[in-house]
Amino acid sequence: MVLVGTRIALWLGVQLLVAGLLVLGGGVTATGQPLGAAAAWWMVDGALIDLATLGVIVWLLRRDGSSYRSLLGPPTTAWQVALGALGVLAASVPAIVFSAELTTAFYGEATPPMFAVVDVPPLASAFSVLVVPLLAELAEPVAYLGVVLPRLERRIGRPWVAPTIVVAMWAAEHAFFPLLISDGSLDLVFAAYRVVSVLPFLATWTALYYTLGRRLLPIMAARWVFNGGTALALALGLVG
Amino acid sequence: MHSATLYRLTYLAAAMSLGHHADHVIRHNAVGWPLTDQVNAFTMSLVIYPVIATGLLLYRAGRVGPGFWAVVSGGGAVFVSAVHFGPFAVEPPEMILGTYDPPILGWLAFTWLVAFVAVLAITSLYETRLWSQQRQTRRAARPATGVGTKR
Repeated sequence: MVLVGTRIALWLGVQLLVAGLLVLGGGVTATGQPLGAAAAWWMVDGALIDLATLGVIVWLLRRDGSSYRSLLGPPTTAWQVALGALGVLAASVPAIVFSAELTTAFYGEATPPMFAVVDVPPLASAFSVLVVPLLAELAEPVAYLGVVLPRLERRIGRPWVAPTIVVAMWAAEHAFFPLLISDGSLDLVFAAYRVVSVLPFLATWTALYYTLGRRLLPIMAARWVFNGGTALALALGLVG
Repeated sequence: MHSATLYRLTYLAAAMSLGHHADHVIRHNAVGWPLTDQVNAFTMSLVIYPVIATGLLLYRAGRVGPGFWAVVSGGGAVFVSAVHFGPFAVEPPEMILGTYDPPILGWLAFTWLVAFVAVLAITSLYETRLWSQQRQTRRAARPATGVGTKR
């Protein structure tokens, strides 16, 4: 719970901080929409959130006397990771289709807002492609599936309940990034869209975590291909 | 050795398949024989029920293993994806989403379809892992038997 709280608080805090810095730097006026302008940096912000998540994970591991490797599940050979990742990508197809249809229902043929708002200098763009997806895989699935899920399972003791809570919390976190402004207030429709559009992905990956015998590496590898590919497409201007 | 999880996943996939066929019947816009004279993807997909029933009997009798189920589930996932999601889909999502009134029912039917394909894919991966584990166990047991025979 500390991890989830930390991540959500950081998403809010970092975006507010970037908005403040943009106002101070004169990039945007306080009466303008600093939060909306800060949203352009949300992918870069993700690196800070993931670094902080890793910090909390290391703190928890030291307290419990276990290792980061133990969170990734049983030993997995390279070919098992590669084959598993292919399976994870194939199993994610229905979620991709659902998300695409939902985007069309909400925004028609327009680029989804979380991609449309991204507007950063080339260096930050390269960082978003090379570093952010890697950090995200080392932190996000490890936090939710490697740390939070087993602890909830031990505490609740009933199958289905713990993974359901984890998927719900993981999806809810997505409502906080990026924070978009619509008609002078937070765009709650977008927040709801974000949560619903990621739900099938997160449910699929959580189910696959069990299916693959609690091995996280294939899921991390597949997610890295997926998220890294999206970041690359965005940087090359193929999206948006 | 039979896997209780494999049985549960098979029953779940069969129930989701029934639900999706019920959606076809309610929409009545992508159905074939026995509801119409046409033999199409709908008709072909009905073959899954005798395959599941036969597979369950053979699995119980120990004649087929998780490899058989991995092919059935994986084949099902590919078939349903190709029919509904692929670039040459004969029944794209719009045929489900645009048919129901109120539209929320269309979204429910579409969500059911997405969950159905995901269950098939996840089940196939589980069965592939089980199959691989059983092969490894068998392979590991073989040299021990060989040593015993030499003696």
